[in-house]
Amino acid sequence: MSNLDRRTLVKGSLAAMLIGASRAAFADSSEPITLGVSGPLTGPNAQYGSQWKQGFDLALDEIHAAGGINGRKLAYTFEDSQSDPRQSVAIAQKFVSDLKIVMELGDFSSPASMAASPIYQRGGLVQFGFTNSHPDFTKGGDFMWSTSVSQADEQPLLAQYAVRHLGLKKLAVLHQNTDWGRTSRDYFVKAAKDDGAEVVVTEGYIADERDFRSTLVRVRDANPDGLVLISYYSDGALIARQARQVGLTQTICAASSVYSPKFLELGGDSVEGVHIGTRYFPEDPRPEVQKFITSFKAKYNGVEPDAFNAYSYDAMNVAAAALRIGGTDRKAIRDAFAKVKDVPSVIFGSVTFDVETRRVKGAMNAELVVRKGQFAIWDGKPT
Amino acid sequence: MTGTTPLLSLRGVTRTFGGLTAVDHIDLDLGQGELVSIIGPNGAGKTTLFNLVTGLDRPDGGEVRLGGQVITGFAPEKLANYGVARTFQLGRVFGNLSVMDNVLIGAHARLKAVKPAVPLIGPLLELGLALLRPSSVKAEEERLREEVRAILARFGERLLPRIDQPAYSLSYANRRRVEIARALALKPRLLLLDEPTAGMNPTETAEMQALISELKAEGLTILLIEHKLDMVMRLSDRVVVMDEGKKIAEGAGEEVRNDRKVIEAYLGHGLSPATSDEREPAA
Amino acid sequence: MSSWLDYTINGLIVGNVYALVAVGLALIFGVSRLINFAQGSIYLVGAYVGWVAVVQLRTPLVVTVILVAAVAALVGLIIERFGLRPLQNSVRIAPLLATIGISFVLDQLVMLTFSPNPRALPSQLPDVRFQIGTGTIGPLDLLIAGVGITSALLLFVFLRYTKLGWAVRATAQDRDAAMQMGVDVNRVNQTVFGIAAALGGVSGMLVGMYYNQIDTAMSLQATLKGVVAEVVGGAGNVPGAVVGSMLLGLVESYGVAAFGTSYRNLFAFLLLIVVLVLRPNGLFASARQAPPEPLTGTFIAPSRPVRLPRWALAIAVGAFALLPLLPVSAYVLQTLINAWLLGMLALSLTLVAGTVGQVSLGHAALLAIGAYTSALLSLRLAVPVGIAIICGGLMSAALGTLLISPSFRLRGHYVSIATLAIGEIVSLVILNWESVTNGPIGLSGIPPLSLFGYELTSASSVYWFSFAVMVLLALLQARLLTSHLGRSFRAIRDDDVAARAYGLGLNRYKALAFIFGGFAAGVSGGIAAHLYSYINHETFNTQQSILALTVVILGGLGNVAGAILGSVALVGLPEAFRIAAEYRILIYGIVLLLLVRFRPQGLLGTI
Repeated sequence: MSNLDRRTLVKGSLAAMLIGASRAAFADSSEPITLGVSGPLTGPNAQYGSQWKQGFDLALDEIHAAGGINGRKLAYTFEDSQSDPRQSVAIAQKFVSDLKIVMELGDFSSPASMAASPIYQRGGLVQFGFTNSHPDFTKGGDFMWSTSVSQADEQPLLAQYAVRHLGLKKLAVLHQNTDWGRTSRDYFVKAAKDDGAEVVVTEGYIADERDFRSTLVRVRDANPDGLVLISYYSDGALIARQARQVGLTQTICAASSVYSPKFLELGGDSVEGVHIGTRYFPEDPRPEVQKFITSFKAKYNGVEPDAFNAYSYDAMNVAAAALRIGGTDRKAIRDAFAKVKDVPSVIFGSVTFDVETRRVKGAMNAELVVRKGQFAIWDGKPT
Repeated sequence: MTGTTPLLSLRGVTRTFGGLTAVDHIDLDLGQGELVSIIGPNGAGKTTLFNLVTGLDRPDGGEVRLGGQVITGFAPEKLANYGVARTFQLGRVFGNLSVMDNVLIGAHARLKAVKPAVPLIGPLLELGLALLRPSSVKAEEERLREEVRAILARFGERLLPRIDQPAYSLSYANRRRVEIARALALKPRLLLLDEPTAGMNPTETAEMQALISELKAEGLTILLIEHKLDMVMRLSDRVVVMDEGKKIAEGAGEEVRNDRKVIEAYLGHGLSPATSDEREPAA
Repeated sequence: MSSWLDYTINGLIVGNVYALVAVGLALIFGVSRLINFAQGSIYLVGAYVGWVAVVQLRTPLVVTVILVAAVAALVGLIIERFGLRPLQNSVRIAPLLATIGISFVLDQLVMLTFSPNPRALPSQLPDVRFQIGTGTIGPLDLLIAGVGITSALLLFVFLRYTKLGWAVRATAQDRDAAMQMGVDVNRVNQTVFGIAAALGGVSGMLVGMYYNQIDTAMSLQATLKGVVAEVVGGAGNVPGAVVGSMLLGLVESYGVAAFGTSYRNLFAFLLLIVVLVLRPNGLFASARQAPPEPLTGTFIAPSRPVRLPRWALAIAVGAFALLPLLPVSAYVLQTLINAWLLGMLALSLTLVAGTVGQVSLGHAALLAIGAYTSALLSLRLAVPVGIAIICGGLMSAALGTLLISPSFRLRGHYVSIATLAIGEIVSLVILNWESVTNGPIGLSGIPPLSLFGYELTSASSVYWFSFAVMVLLALLQARLLTSHLGRSFRAIRDDDVAARAYGLGLNRYKALAFIFGGFAAGVSGGIAAHLYSYINHETFNTQQSILALTVVILGGLGNVAGAILGSVALVGLPEAFRIAAEYRILIYGIVLLLLVRFRPQGLLGTI
C-alpha cells in the first residue's frame, strides 16, 4: 500500500469514527422523526391516497440518501380517514396526543381537512395541507400551512393558454361540482373575461358521473369555439371521448388536474390534441423535475408520475426542509415554515411561503398538448 | 224489526277487481242488538264485504250507513271513532306487544286526556302530553288498564296469567281471544267477527260460542262470518248466504239451510250445508 | 329543434345502459321480492373479470363474454346459497340488509385485489361510428341495446311460457304453496340468481368497455340508478324495467337540457318519488288493483329484549360521565364524542325504523338540515350557538317530516327506497341552492360550540356537552316508549292494518315519530357543524345513513340502550382496528352479514 493510500485509510477511519461519535451524541437519534398523515386509504378517494404514498416514499428515499434530517431518519404513519370529517377529527386528536408526531400532512378533501383544523390549531400541531384547495383552509389558524396551488394563481395561467395563446374567444367551461371545481371555475371565468374572452356556458357535474352526452349537447348549443375542462383525469377522459362522439370538434383545453398517464390510457385516441396547462412535463429541463421523473420511473416499474404524485413528493421535501430548520419542537416547526426558503419543487420551481397567507405564491407553468398519445410541449401550432 | 233505523245498512254495495265482481250489489240491514251471520262457500266475497264496511277497501258502487249516517269509504281509523270494531280472518294481533298492550290499543280511539281534539296542533299536543304525563293522563291510563283486566277476566284463566307476555308467544286460540278482547276494549256499537273459531277445536269453539252469546245478550250488535253451521244456527237472528259476490238467500237459519239455491251453491263448490263440518259439541 | 332530437337520442342511449342493471334487479325482485343491493357489485366483478380476460388473457370477445358470465353466475350462486338462503325463513328486513353487507364485501375484495385506480377496458369491437342526429353511436351501443332487449324478451318468454318459468312465478306469488305443489323452490331461486348475476356481470363488462373505464366506485351508481329504473317500471316487471330505464334516461337528459347538468340526479330521484307516490306498483300496474293482502308476518323479528336493570344503566352512565376526569387521551374522548353524535342519530333512527318500522335509508338528510340551519343562524344572524342548535333540531323535525311524508303511504321495501331517494334529493338541493347554502363551497368559519357565552373547546367540555345532550334525548325517548305512543308506534310496526282498524291514523303517528326523531338528528347535526367549523353537501351522506342503520340493527331495533351501545361499538371498533387499515370496510361488511344471519334482533333485542 502506498503512503497516500494509508493516509487516506487512516483519515477515512478517523472520519468514520467521528461521524459515528457525533451520531451517538444525538440523544434518541436512532428513532426516526415521525410525521402523521391523515388521508384516504379506503373509500371513494382511495386511489389518491395510494398516489400520495408513492410520492412520499420517493421523497424519503432521496432524503435518506442525503443523510436524513440532521442524521436522523424520517418516517410517516398513515391513518385512513376515508376523507371523512368524523374520522379526520379523531385522527387529529390522536396525532395531537401522540408526542412522537411532530407534524401532520393532509387531508385530501376540504371538509375532512377543515373539520380537523380547530383541533390542530388548539393542539399546536402543524397541519400541512397540499391537495386541499379550499381558499379558507389557512384561515383556520397559524398552524395551518399549505402548498396546494391557489386557484387564484393557477386559473389565470390556464386562461392565458386558452385565450391569449390558443386564441379562443367563446368558451364553454365544464367543471366538477365540488368546492375545488367551483372555486377554480370562478377564478377562470374572471381571468378569461379579463383576457377578453366570453364564457358562454358553464356546466358543473358530479364527480362520479359517467354520461356527459346531454351536457355536451347543451355545450354545443351555446356555440363555443373551445371547451375548458376543470376535471380530474377520469372524468376528463370521459368528457373528451364523449365530446367526439357527440360531434364536437372544438379545441379542448384542460387544467393541470387531468395531467396523468391515466388520462392518456383512459382517453385513448379521443384525447389526441387536447391542450393541458400543467406545472411540469416529461421533458421539463428543470433538474428537480428530471430527478423526480427518473427516480419515479426507476422505483415504480417505468410508470410515469402524475400531478398527485408530484404534490406529495414536494410536500415531503418541504416538510423535511421545515424540520431541518425547526428541529422537532412543534412550535418551532410552525415558526420554521415561515423561514423555509427556496426549496426545490416540481410544482413551484422553488418554495418560499408567503407568511401572511401561509401559502405559496405563483406556480410553474408549462403548456402541453397530447400528440401521438404522449404529452408534448405545445409548439404553438394549431391542432 | 221495529220501525227504528237499522244500525247498519248496506245498499247496492259493489266491488269489482278487473273483470271479477267480488261483491255484487249487496243490500243488508242490521238492527240494533241483532246478530246476523254471513255464510257461503270460499271465495263468495264475505271478507271483501267486511273490508268494504270497515273502510279497509272502498266500494265501487253503493252506500253504507251507520245509524243512518253515510260512512261509505270512511277510513278504518275514522270508523273506530264511530264504534265499529272488527276481527280478522287470519287473526291479526301485534306480535311483539304484550297482551295488555294489544288490548289497550283497542281502547285507543277512546283516549281523551292524551289526545285533545284540537285541530292542527293536536298531534303535537299528544306528543307533549305523552312526555309530560300530567295526572289526568296517568289517571286515564290507569282506568283503561283496569278495564282491560276486567275484559280479560271474561276469558277465565286463559289470558290473565299471560297479561305481560308478548302475543307471538301465545297459542293460536289465545291469540284469537286477544283479538276479541281488543275489539271489546273499543266498546263498540257494532262488532264484526270474521271466522272467530277458524282452526279451533270443539272445546275452544264452544267457549267462543258461549262468549258471543253473552255479548249478544248484553245488547251488542254483531255481524258474523262463520263456516260452523251449528254455531251459526244457534247464535243468529238471521242468516245471509253469499255466493260469487251475490246474496242468494236471507232469513232464519232453518229456512236458509233448506233453500235449494243454497244447497246447489255449496254442492257446486263441493260441500253440503246439511251436514256441518264437525259434530255438535255437547252443551 | 334538432337539439331535442339529440337529447332524446342521448336519453335513450344512457337509458340503454341503465336497462342492463334494471333487468337483473327486476328478475330477482320478481322471484324473491328482494331488492338486491348487491347487483351493482356483481356488475363490478363482471367488469374486472372482463378486464382480466381482455387485457391479461387476451381472449376473443365471445370467450370473454362467456368467461364473465360464468364467473358472475358463480358469484351469484354463492351469494344465493350462503348469503340469502339461510335467511329465507327470517324476517323480511334480513335479506335487504344482507345484500347491503354483501355489496360492501364484494366491493372491498375487488378493491383489495385490483387497487382503486381506474383502468381502461378496451372494447373488442371494430371502431366504426354511425351517424345519428348530429352525434354518432358505435357497435357497443347496438350491442348493449341488443343485450338489454333480448334478455328482457327472453326472460319474458321464459317466465310466461316455460315450465321452469311458471315455477319461478309460482314461487314469487306464494312460496309455501309452490313447495306443496312440488316446486323445488331452492333450485328455482338458484337458477334465477345465476341468470340475473350472469346478466349483471356481462352488463358491467359491456358498460366498462363502453366508457373505456372501470373503477371500484361504479357499483354504487349502477345500483342506485338501476333501482330507480326498476321501481319506475314496476318492481318485478322485466319488460317494465326496460321501459323504466328509457324513461329515466330521458328524464335526466331533458332535465339537463332545461336546467343544466348539476340538476341531473335531482330529476332522477324526483322521478322516483313521483312514481312511488302516484303509482307505487310502477307505471304499468293498473291504478286500482286488489289491495295486496299484507302478510301478517312482520318485517321485524319477534324477540325477547334484554332488559338492563336500572342500576346497571345508571352505573354505565356514571362511568362514562366520569371518564374525562381519568387520564385518558383526547383521542379516546374524541372517538367517544363521535360515538355520542352517532348515538343521537341512531336514537332517531331506532325510533323511526325500529319502533315504527319505517326503515329509512336517508336519515343523514336530517343531520344535514339541522347542521345547515344551525350554522346559518349563527353565521348570518349571530344567533347564540346553543339556541341555533335547538333551532336546527326544530327545523329538522318540521322540514324533515314534511319531506319524508310522501313515503308514509308506502310499505316494506318501498319505504327504504323512497327514503334513500329523499336523502339524495336533500343532498342535491343543498348542492344547488347556492344563495342559501353556498353550494359546493360550503360554509366555513362556523362558530365553535359555546354555552351561555363560554366556548367549549377542550375535548372534555365537548365530550360532556354531547354526552349530556345524548343522555337527555335517550331519557326522553325511553319515556316516550312507555307512554301510549310507544305501544301505538309498535302496533303500527307490527300490523298496520289492525292498527288502523283501531283508530291509529298512520300518517299522524308516523309523522310524530319523525318529528321526535328529526329533532334528535337535527341536534346531532347542529353540534357537528359547530364542532367541525366547516360543512358542505358531502359532510352528511348516504354512508352515514347506512352506518346508522347498522348501529340500529346491531343494538336491536327500537332499543334505546342498544342504539347507544351499537354506536360505541361501531365507532370504537374501527378506531381500535386502525391497524387493519385497508381491511376495515371488509370487516364491517362481514360483521353486518353475521349480525343479520345470526342475531337479526340485535345484541339487546328488538323492543
